[in-house]
Amino acid sequence: MTSPLVEIRGLEKRFDLSGSLLEQITFKGGRFQRKQEAVHAINGVDLQVHKGEALCVVGESGCGKSTVARTVMGLLSPSAGEVHYDGQRIDNLKGRDVLPYRRKMQMIFQNPYASLNPRMTIQQTLEEPIHFHRPELSRDEVRGKVQEVMASVGIDPDWGSRFGHEFSGGQRQRIAIARALAVDPEFIVADEPISALDVSIQAQVLNLLMEAQETRNLTYLFITHDLAVVEHFGTRVAVMYLGRVCELAETKTLFAEPRHPYTQALLSAIPKLEDDRPNYIRLQGEVPTPVNLPSGCVFHGRCPYANDRCRQQIPQLITTDSGTQVACHAVEEGRL
Amino acid sequence: MKNDTPLLEVKNLDVRFAVRGGDLTALRGISFSLDKGERLGLVGESGAGKSVAAFSILNLIARPGYIAGGQILLEGKDLAAMSERELRKIRGNRIAMIFQDPMMTLNPVLTIGTQMVEAIKAHRRISTKAARDIALDKLRKVQIPSPEKRLDQYPHELSGGMRQRVIIAIALLLDPEIIVADEPTTALDVTIQAEIMALLLDLCEQENVALMLITHDLGVVSQVTQRMLVMYSGRIIEQGPTREIINDAQHPYTQGLINALPQMGEPGARLFQIPGSMPSLKNVPTGCPFHPRCDFATDQCRQTMPEYVRSGNVDVACYEVSNLIEQEKRMQEAGS
Repeated sequence: MTSPLVEIRGLEKRFDLSGSLLEQITFKGGRFQRKQEAVHAINGVDLQVHKGEALCVVGESGCGKSTVARTVMGLLSPSAGEVHYDGQRIDNLKGRDVLPYRRKMQMIFQNPYASLNPRMTIQQTLEEPIHFHRPELSRDEVRGKVQEVMASVGIDPDWGSRFGHEFSGGQRQRIAIARALAVDPEFIVADEPISALDVSIQAQVLNLLMEAQETRNLTYLFITHDLAVVEHFGTRVAVMYLGRVCELAETKTLFAEPRHPYTQALLSAIPKLEDDRPNYIRLQGEVPTPVNLPSGCVFHGRCPYANDRCRQQIPQLITTDSGTQVACHAVEEGRL
Repeated sequence: MKNDTPLLEVKNLDVRFAVRGGDLTALRGISFSLDKGERLGLVGESGAGKSVAAFSILNLIARPGYIAGGQILLEGKDLAAMSERELRKIRGNRIAMIFQDPMMTLNPVLTIGTQMVEAIKAHRRISTKAARDIALDKLRKVQIPSPEKRLDQYPHELSGGMRQRVIIAIALLLDPEIIVADEPTTALDVTIQAEIMALLLDLCEQENVALMLITHDLGVVSQVTQRMLVMYSGRIIEQGPTREIINDAQHPYTQGLINALPQMGEPGARLFQIPGSMPSLKNVPTGCPFHPRCDFATDQCRQTMPEYVRSGNVDVACYEVSNLIEQEKRMQEAGS
């Protein structure tokens, strides 16, 4: 197997909640105490994205999937761990050294109403990244590039003088995709790119992303909560829960035989057209807060198969016969 | 007992919004009925008029919107012609509403208990103690853990799923005959969504409450409802038994909506897509509003709005379908 295009090693990200030193100090029982709290958004994630694939990261709100996306892009710096691109560590690069990677890696955001500058025309929006990353191009060349990229996402190049608000949600997302494609990237991180769109528009945008992948030989890191989309779009899927990957598998394998109890519950909760009644695996309780992580397996409080070992020891990803990687003591011990 | 008059009957309802430059028609000639204990799904994309339809049932259309014509009959009495005083006796009492975002519906500065007692006392002359008992009973019904404690908590102390349970408990407070639920689970995660939907379905069945469920998720409609309406650009274009429509949709738009779902396509293949997007209310096309996006559009579709025709147990407004039915009839006559 060739080396991965993007590799994440032992990634951790904490967001400090406690504020400045003075805010941390409390006076209790005649003594000063210093209390520090943090949201543990990612707790040791290893992922590899191979060239030409679409790796989907799924999970419910608060599982850290967007934080993974943002850390890979360098929008957030990791608390621990490394991000490698094509064999080169990139999370510690500074200044000019980052620029070539910024061009190769582009991002598409969830909300096309927020990700387009309302005071810029579409032409300006699309020209800006090209000017920045390829200053050697002449004005006409830039304009030609913009026209080409607009046509490729199905936006009439004559609309360049319009502003973002003049477009519908689906069209705006196309423009956001065009902006990402304008600098000819190799790798695209898409954070919930279709969740804000209507069903019939979702299909249009998904088709566009798949088309771009084929014609431009793109690699995707696709963040979503929608498992139906994953089944259709993903090459491989990583299921996240409370900042950890609990299962990682080929899409087909994951949907055919989910191993982790959380994946099983998640899959069963998708409303299907052929169902006559809600039909799902009931989990106890709710997702715990990432401020005080549970000991052992983060899922143990809601898991019907949890035992003492699950409550104490953190399960590591193990590879099963079908090639699925799963972090679960019950699967490892053959209880499940 | 009269079985032939439905609990709620909406006849030829027109809702308009008076804006600068003339009226916008948000609902045009909407007719449907809801029987006691029946569960009805209202499907469509944003801008189709589903929420306006839901609000108008309670005559909650605020200025500049107004009901321009038609009737909303609750057991024969027209809500569209009632005074505010009379309406207030019905809202929350006989018809209850559940909104999309539980944080917006609950008052953040009042405890859950205060809000529930307030709602009961607005309709019934009973003591606070008795009202609290009713509240507690309803909280138990929606399976909230430790309901006594919840009464004295504020909305921000509860999780999203728990808040939506509180909202459902509030809707049930006065034992309504109809619950109108506008996208009740859209803001929630998949596993929580499955729980809330199952709960809502169970409660409606136990208490024999009629449910009007507004959603864009066809999977949810299929799991929960018995009949469904499909809306497009302010009109109902197809209505009938849910199973029949899901399995064999007649209108090209409904077919498109179903086929555009990722679960309908082969993984990795292009999804079926409906070209274009829903027209804005400012320039609704003449004739059938769907014609610019329809593969079967003829001159007839461009000029006049099709009447409803019956196919099986489904009412459809489409010339293509009515022509097919005509053809079949002629074939049969020729055959005999």
